[in-house]
Parts: sequence; structure tokens; C-alpha cells
Amino acid sequence: MPGLYSSLKYLAVALWSVFVVTPLLWALTTSFKTSNAVTGGPTYLPWLQYQPSLDGWRSLFGGAGGIDIVKPYMDSLIVTGSASLISIVLGTLAAYGLSRFDYRAGFIKNTDIVFFFISQRIMPPIVLAIPFFLMLQFLGLLDSKIGLILVYIALLLPIAVWIMVDFFDGVPRQIDEMAMLDGCTPFEAFLRVVLPNSLPGILVASMFCLVFGWNDFFFAFTLTFTDTQLLPVAVVALNSSVTPWWSLSASALISVAPLILCAFLVERLLSRGTLAGAIR
Amino acid sequence: MDQSEFRFYKLSFLLPGFLVLLAIILFPLLFTIRVSLSGWDAISPGLDWAGVKNYAAVFGDIRFWQALWRLGGMAVFTVLAQYVLGFALALLVWREIRFRRFFRVLFLIPMMTTPVIMSVIWRTIFHESLGPANDFLSLFGLGPYPWLTSANWALASVMLVEIWQWTPFMFLLLLAGLISLPREPFLAAAIDGAGPVRTFLNVTFPLLAPVSIGAITIRLIEASKIMETVYVLTSGGPGTATETAGYYIYIKGLRDFEIGYAAALSITYLVIMIVLMTIIAKLLVKLFVGGRA
Amino acid sequence: MSLIIDNLHLAREGIPHLDGVTAEFGHGSITAVIGRTLAGKTTLTRAIAGLQAVDGGSLRLDGKPFGGTPAWRRDVAMVYQQFINYPHLSVFENVAFPLRKRKVAAGEIARRVTAALEMVGLASFGTRRPTELSGGQQQRVALARALVRRAGILLLDEPLVNLDYKLREQLREEFRGLLKDQTGAIVIYNTTEPSEAMMLGNRIVVMHEGKVLQAGAPAEIFDRPASVQVARIVNDPPMNIFSGIIENGAILLAGGLRIPVAEHLASLPPGSYRFGIRAGELRVGGEGDASGKVTFSEVSGSETFVYAQAPFGDAVLQIEGVHAMANGTQLSISVAPDRLFAFSAEADGALLAAPVTGDAAWPK
Repeated sequence: MPGLYSSLKYLAVALWSVFVVTPLLWALTTSFKTSNAVTGGPTYLPWLQYQPSLDGWRSLFGGAGGIDIVKPYMDSLIVTGSASLISIVLGTLAAYGLSRFDYRAGFIKNTDIVFFFISQRIMPPIVLAIPFFLMLQFLGLLDSKIGLILVYIALLLPIAVWIMVDFFDGVPRQIDEMAMLDGCTPFEAFLRVVLPNSLPGILVASMFCLVFGWNDFFFAFTLTFTDTQLLPVAVVALNSSVTPWWSLSASALISVAPLILCAFLVERLLSRGTLAGAIR
Repeated sequence: MDQSEFRFYKLSFLLPGFLVLLAIILFPLLFTIRVSLSGWDAISPGLDWAGVKNYAAVFGDIRFWQALWRLGGMAVFTVLAQYVLGFALALLVWREIRFRRFFRVLFLIPMMTTPVIMSVIWRTIFHESLGPANDFLSLFGLGPYPWLTSANWALASVMLVEIWQWTPFMFLLLLAGLISLPREPFLAAAIDGAGPVRTFLNVTFPLLAPVSIGAITIRLIEASKIMETVYVLTSGGPGTATETAGYYIYIKGLRDFEIGYAAALSITYLVIMIVLMTIIAKLLVKLFVGGRA
Repeated sequence: MSLIIDNLHLAREGIPHLDGVTAEFGHGSITAVIGRTLAGKTTLTRAIAGLQAVDGGSLRLDGKPFGGTPAWRRDVAMVYQQFINYPHLSVFENVAFPLRKRKVAAGEIARRVTAALEMVGLASFGTRRPTELSGGQQQRVALARALVRRAGILLLDEPLVNLDYKLREQLREEFRGLLKDQTGAIVIYNTTEPSEAMMLGNRIVVMHEGKVLQAGAPAEIFDRPASVQVARIVNDPPMNIFSGIIENGAILLAGGLRIPVAEHLASLPPGSYRFGIRAGELRVGGEGDASGKVTFSEVSGSETFVYAQAPFGDAVLQIEGVHAMANGTQLSISVAPDRLFAFSAEADGALLAAPVTGDAAWPK
């Protein structure tokens, strides 16, 4: 019966939607609570079950008993932004080379090199965290933005390469050749002809790099302490029984808010078919 | 054609990125190996030589192998659940449903959020007396359940959070795959009178085999690193009930500061992961592609 | 002054793509390189353009070595088989690209681009994007871009092969006019169709399996193909080849068919030969020398191609007009003795004697 089938579909979708939204809505209401609304048992609806207040949100900006969310935000922006930028630039160049040229060193071929890049993701963070810790300590770069940026490049470069190689493979090689015949060196051909036709790829790669970088916790946690504080670390540091739930929820929400915008962007790209190229 | 000028360009594209990555990864890796052969810990810091003593200890470290086994189980279960759910969701919002785009955006949101930060929120949700989880279930006369304080429940909580977080990843990849499928096979199936189930089994699923393999492989690789969720939600507890290999190594290395031993654990962990991933990747290909001639 | 190609070799995975290719292309010449697919035409073109490294041999332009210059410094323009244009640029910018790259003055660019677009009939298309255009229009843009540079060497690699039949005919006419105007340039045009080659080129190079089989004026190649292979390549449908012997002053083909020895074959000693006759020169009907059974027939334009099994071998005939030929129909076929080619029975199949020219059925 088509009617039943259709209802079931909407029901399933509705159920999952509720599941998706639950933690976020809970955090939202909790951020407006004060101590009565929490200690007496869970409450949900403002004004009906508790009196909303802006305490949680005010504490974000250094108010009484509060945290300063601005510094971690800035630090995250700088570190993630720089690391992503460098990763995209180096990764796109490398990906173009791997897409267009034949590299051969003994028995190592292009596919092996691409595999090398991608396989970096298998590396469990802990394997690198220990030496990074010791090495940054030795270089005096612990708790610094630069040290963290270097580490993040190692994490994000493979992503950039993985995505861009696929996109470049989708641009016909003859366009490069035509540009060369028209007088462009391989680099000019890349810059003036291939790159303008790969902008969706750069967009996708940038987005993935930014999101992965922004969301890292482990490396920021082990390699930074006070001078540099990234957002995830700052929020988790609040995760003690001392911090009131409303400040916790507010800081959590404000940290993930920009990322939710990314979801819109990804859906846009998806519907336009751009992502179909990246996904293999 | 002149090779040397061309070669200059060839190399200048690949080398910067390649060398940077090599430098940032290779040296630490070699360093870790060297450290694993030393007895570096809080009491006696520094690179001395301890031979394979650490590795021998790893071999007999029950807690480590339990953590590894636990990790394996969690990874496999969560990835499987994510795959099934992700596929179902992708199919649901693929075509004939209203507000498609709204639901697609909604379903993508969890994977964009910062996992650790969401875990912080989940911790408040799973709070036994003050959290909504038990409150909601009490409406049905169920619970209260010891979400974070009892071994099996803690495991379930961690896995639930992981599923919430990463099902969108499968959803995204599979939906992108569905969108890029050609219409013809479906028209042919419709003409042959195939119903939705048969169409799925014989057309949709086989056509998405490559995407499925890629998605599962990637998710398995990422799931093998589960550590942050555990750290925030349960701190490995109660006891060691939710301790994953990564978490255990973190404790040994950066909390108890037995760096030499932790390095040996890491290398063992890495080697096992590489071997397993290669095997699994090949198995997946066989499973998805080999079975259908 | 010319482009001289000397003994080019290129092999990949053991298969030779260029097997000792030697040819000369003079200034102002339009050379049609004809050969089947995988004959090496594209490889040769790409080697000239600098997009393909060769294993051995040399290229010299006007006496100076050419092979060492990278592609972006060679004075070569190329039109591909696939419609290659820059998707992110407008038609005008597409054609202007090589000029902008060479830092030509803006006013001059505008003048030359407009002229080029007019030449290919796309004068009002300047602001459009290539993706909005049809296949034929896209190829014209590519051609305009190739022409606007007035490059010394102009390469066209089967540019019409991806267009439909009618469009191909129309563009072929346009190309003929345009290419003739490229005074001084060396034009090389790859094709698989003999009619196209004969129409566009004032010189023909026949390639097969990486080798140059014959080079010369169209008439010469058509009237005196150097070997069986050439004869097959430059005729469409391929020339019929039958084994036979000359004995007792007559030609004996398989199946007992006897043909008198015509004058141009008189000097050949008795022995085994391979005889060739064009599809259009086998006559049907009338008394006939032999009877053949139709295996397949196909109407194309205003002609009918008939494949028949004759006692002397499988033959293809080209008949004027549209005829319905059911399979199995018995045909009487006659072989005009004065239209026979004689080739050696050896492997090389070299030409030994050719009919007198004058009555040759020129391809259209």
C-alpha cells in the first residue's frame, strides 16, 4: 500500500531527525538555565518549566565565573586557517603533478605515491603525538601556534591531495596541452587554465581541511596548554563538575555553530553534483 | 622533446608537498621507533638503550590486547550501523520525499560538529539523574539506566555517540553516489516489473559497490582511532570498560609518562592497523564486487 | 625551407607507434596524412607539437634542430579530434588566449580575433561560452584559435571525425578554403578518409603501423599506389585484391576466371601475382565474366555497395544509383582488363604495373 509505505518513510525520517537534533536542542535550552533548572532534574521548556537567563551566554565573554571564548576562537581560526591554506597550496600542486605526470623512482609509481599520501590517515594520532611532543619541546615550539600549524599540515595535506587528484583527473589533459601549445609553461597552464576549471574541487578540499582541522582535539590537547588554546580544548577543559552546565552548553553551542553552516554548503555542492566527482 | 626542462616542472609540482609531508611524518616515526627501543620514562628520561624489552612487555600486556579487541569490536559495530543507517537515510531523501533539501542539510549536521564538543554535551544528556536520557525513558517506565557508570552501558553510550556523529559521513558519500547514478538501469528494472526491494538488491546496491567500499574503508580507518569520545564521556571507565587502544596508549605515554613503553605500544598498534586495513580493504572488494560476477 | 622528420622511433610496451618515420613538409604545403586508426598519425602529430617524447630520430625546422624545444616555445598550433576549448573563457577570450599570452597589443588582438571568428563563421558568438555551442561550432572555435596565431606549423588531427556526416561535408569545404589561405604555413592534416585527403591536401603521406608507406602528390598516390597496403588504404571501399597467375599470355584468377592481359600488364613475366581492382571498376550485369552471390548490400548516398562471393574471391562492388539487392542474388560480374593493378605476390606487395591514368574514377 503506497500510503503506508509513504507514511513509514516520513516516520523514519522524522525519528532520525529528532535523534539528530536532540543534543543540540538540549544544549540550547540548557544554556539558558540557572542552577534551579538543572539540579532538580532535567527541564526542557523555557518559561514553562524554568526561568531562562543569559548567564550562560554572558560567561562566554569573561564575565563572572566565566570563560573567555574569544581567545580560543581566534587561536583556532589562525591555526586552522594557516594550516589549511598551506595544505591546500602544497596539496593542490602535488595533486596536479600526480594527475598529469608520470613519476617513476625504481618500482615506485604514481599510484604508490598517491597511496603514500592517503595512507597517512591510517596513522593513529597517538603514534605521532609522542614524538611531536618531544620534538616540539626540543625546538621550543610547545604551546605555540607555529608548532601546531606544522602538525596540522601533516594531517590536512593528505586530505587536500586525495580530493584534488580526483578533481584534476576529471579535467581533460588536452586542455593543459592546448595551453602549452598556446605558449604556456606547464606552471602557467596549471595556473591559468586548469585551476580556474577546478574551483569546485578547491572549495571541497578547503572545506574538508578547515572542518577536520577545526575539529581536532587530540593534538591541540597534547601539544598546547596556556599560551595557545584551541576551541575544542577550551571547551573540554570546562568539562569538570565545577563548570555549570549552562556555561558549558553555551560554549559548546557557540563553538559548533559555524560548522553547522558548513552543512548548508555541503548540501549545496551535493545537489549541484559537484561532490560526485570527489567521491569515488 | 627536451626532457630536462620538463622534468624541472614535473618535480616542482610534486616535491614541495611530498617533502614537507615526509619531513613532518617520517622523522617523528623514526624517532618513535628509536624511543620504543629505550627505557624513557618519568624516572629515567632520555634515550638510553633497552633493546626489545618494551616489545616483549607489550606482548604480555593483557590490558593492551583487551583494549585493542574492544576497539575492534566497537569499530566494526559502529561502522556497520553507520553504513546501514546511512544507506537507509540516503535512500529516503534521495528522490520522492518533500523538503528533501531541508532533511539533507539536517542529516549532514552531526558530522560537521566538533566530536569532542558534542561529547561534552552528550555527557550531560547521559547524566543518570539530571540528564534527559533517563528522564525520557522514564516516560515509558524504563530505566533509570547507568549510562556512564556501568560497563556495558558505557560501551553502548560511546557507540551511540559515534553513530550519531558519523552516520552522516556514510549518508553523504552514499547520497552523492546515488545522485550520480545513471537512470537507465532503473528504467530497465521498472520495465521488467521489479519492485523496490528487487531494484535495490539488483540495481542500486551493486552500482554503489565502489562507493560503499570506499566509504566503509575510510570510516574503518577513522574509527580505529576512537579515543576522544572515550576521553570525554567515560575516561575509559568504568574501570577499563571503554578503554580503546588509543586511549590506553595515551594514558601510558602522556599521563604516566612511560614514553618508551608507550612508543612500543604505538608502533605495535600502527603495524597491526596497517596490516588489518590492507586485509580488510581486499576483503571488502571481494565482498562487494567478487560475489557478483 | 621545411620541416624535416628523420627516422623517428617510438615504442611503448614493445609496440612500435613510430617505426622509422621519415618525411618532409615544405612551407606552404598542405599535407594530408592518411592511414587507418593506430597507424601512428596522432603520435606523429603530437611529436611534432612537442607533446610526445620520442625514443629516437630527429626533427629539424629550416635546418635547425626542433626536437629539443619544449612545446610552449614551438611555433605550432593544433586542432584536436575532440573539441578542445577553454571552458571557463568566452569564445572571444578562447581565440584571444594565445595572443594575450604573447603580449600582443589589445587593439591588435581585437582585430585579429574578430577576423578569425569571421573566417570560421562565428562572428557574433564572441560572448558565448564554448559549452553553450554545438559540436561543429566548438570545433570552429578551436580552428579560429589555431588560425589566429598564424603559426608556422598548423596541425589538425582528424578534426572532423566526431561530427555528423552532413556537418563533416560542410566543414570540409570550409576547411579547404581556410587552409589554402594559410600562406607559408606548413599544414598537416590527419585523416582516415581517402576522399578527405584527396580533397584537402596538395600532398599525401600514407602511414601504416608506424611506417610511412608512400608520400607524394594525390594523383600519384591514387594512380600508382606503391603497394597492396597503400592501395587498400587510399581507396574507399578498399581495393579488391585477388591472387592469380599470369600464364600463357592470360591472367588466371581463382575459380577459373580468365582475363586477357591488357597492354599495361604485357611486360610482366609469367608467375604469381596479386591483382587489384577498385570497387567502382567492377562491372555488373551484362554478359559478365563470372557469377557472384550477394552476401550483403548497403546503400550510401547515391551509391550502392555490394559485397559478393565470387569464384575468384570475395569482392566489393560500388554501383551507381540505388539498387535493392537481396542477399543471395546472383550477380554477373565483369572485370575490365585495362583497370587491373598488378602487385607482387611477395609480402611487400609492391606495385608492379598500374593502369593508364585518365579514366580513373576520382573519389568525390
